[in-house]
Amino acid sequence: MQFEKSVEIQATKEKVWNFIWDVDRFIACVPGCKEAKTVEAGKRYTATMVEKVGPFKVEFPTTIEVTEREELSHIKAQASGADNKIGSRMKIDLDVRLAGEGEKTSLSFIAGVDILGKLAALGHGIIKRKADQVLDEFAMAVKQKLEGDS
Amino acid sequence: MLRRFRLEEPESVSEASELLGRFGDSAKVYAGGTELLLAMKEGLVEYERLVNIKKLGLNDVKQNNGTIRIGALCTHHQLELSPVLQQALPALVKLENNVANVRVRQAGTLGGNLCFAEPHADPGTLLMALDAKMIAEKNGSARAIAAQDFLVDAFETSLAPDEVLTAIEVPVRPARSGIAYLKFGYLERPSVGVGVAITRNDSGIARASVAVGCAGPAPKRVAEAEALLQGKSIEEVTRNLGQAGEIAGKASQAITDLHGSQDYKEHIVGVLLKRAFQSALSQC
Amino acid sequence: MSKAMSRHSDAQTIPISFTLNGRLQELDVEPHELLLDVVRDRLGLTGAKRSCDVEVCGACTLLVDGRPVSACTTLAFEVRGKSVLTIEGLAENGKLHPLQDAFIEHGGFQCGFCTPGMILASKALLDEIPNPTEEQLKHFMHGNICRCTGYKKIIESIMAAAKKMAH
Repeated sequence: MQFEKSVEIQATKEKVWNFIWDVDRFIACVPGCKEAKTVEAGKRYTATMVEKVGPFKVEFPTTIEVTEREELSHIKAQASGADNKIGSRMKIDLDVRLAGEGEKTSLSFIAGVDILGKLAALGHGIIKRKADQVLDEFAMAVKQKLEGDS
Repeated sequence: MLRRFRLEEPESVSEASELLGRFGDSAKVYAGGTELLLAMKEGLVEYERLVNIKKLGLNDVKQNNGTIRIGALCTHHQLELSPVLQQALPALVKLENNVANVRVRQAGTLGGNLCFAEPHADPGTLLMALDAKMIAEKNGSARAIAAQDFLVDAFETSLAPDEVLTAIEVPVRPARSGIAYLKFGYLERPSVGVGVAITRNDSGIARASVAVGCAGPAPKRVAEAEALLQGKSIEEVTRNLGQAGEIAGKASQAITDLHGSQDYKEHIVGVLLKRAFQSALSQC
Repeated sequence: MSKAMSRHSDAQTIPISFTLNGRLQELDVEPHELLLDVVRDRLGLTGAKRSCDVEVCGACTLLVDGRPVSACTTLAFEVRGKSVLTIEGLAENGKLHPLQDAFIEHGGFQCGFCTPGMILASKALLDEIPNPTEEQLKHFMHGNICRCTGYKKIIESIMAAAKKMAH
């Protein structure tokens, strides 16, 4: 499943870029994400993703690897995790871009999401909607956090 | 094999509600089990306790002063056979007669079907078109929730964790009304479902309700389509059916999956809307 | 309050008594035990089969109080106080039921895997509608799947049995 999201933020590129690497504040924007840890700054992080669809709850201990990085413009990362209780795996390929001039930055990202295992039994549609929802909330939260504290 | 759990068997709604409140996420209401046990077998959910509510009764169908009250624990089979429903809501009887298969109809309850809120289900869609209300009770208090406020999302209702769905109330339609529910699908569960209820008057169609389900995460009433089909002459309404169908298709929140592409489902919504409307019209 | 007894602090058992193929059966079951497993593994009646495990195929069909249920998705304690019929209980004193005769005579089975469920479902059908139309038959039997026969012979078998049983 592919998702493309983009959000306009009233903040400089530097501010947005620095925010992304401020792991705790950044992770706080991801719905259901907790316990973020830096394993290797700029390279590897871990977190736990907890999501719920009705009665179905998943908990993915997740590893995030940053594979590409261009200062102030581009990040490529891969997040992967497995919930052994429910027998499911998750993989997200993230491509993040920053663009803009001055006080306005456009943060856009393409997310390739794969859910494997039992969770897929819920139905592709349900998962797609949930992922879409999570990504929307995430983009909004980033915008609010950045615009909120000037 | 299922994972081990404790069985609780309350004998009153208050007792059931108290148990649910006390044990929270680790307990679940169990009635027919036709959805719950499947999810448990798959390992998608796990509970320390199942609260068997079948000792609460809640399994009769009564008509009182223009309202049909259906006990939440009525099985689909009981509803197929209910003389009250056969007389007052034959469209619902037909729907119940076509739920899943004879074994699921034997064990599965209408309440369970609504509370599990599986997207690919029939009853919620028609009940929504019929302005049904869900009666939710706990510890001595009860509230009525309109179907469209009850069926919130895929596998999600607005029932509080310690509430028990005890009944479904359906207002009796006025004279000169017609009701139809049509579904389409070739997999085990339905892919598209459309419910239509109309009431005629001398100038044409006085009121029309349209609900679409199965194609999206939860059934939806489609007010925009209804506006094209009510307060107008039959000729005008018939001319509007195509457009109403397109609107209803978009409103269904259809997504592309094994049940079909988004386009296809939206198209089928339109087809079923036309046919259901004609069927409802022929009844009045 | 719960009628279940606690044997240990963590294993709850429910004593159930029910009629199995006409005879009284008494057992202790744990709440999570499935009827299909109790019937097959504890009672040795292996006619009912675990096939799809999701109530779709009907290979696990048993009759409880005369009505078809998916034993794969029925908790065993639910049959307390009820009567259960398995395929092993259909013949009486070695004499086959007219449905069993008909399935043999008309070729209503090949590999036989779906057959116990198919025959029990047919019995429930004919008990409810002794002289069904083909449409009524198909609607009732919709939930019993066969991969071998193409269904034609099954329909013929049931219709033939219905004719015989009407006399």
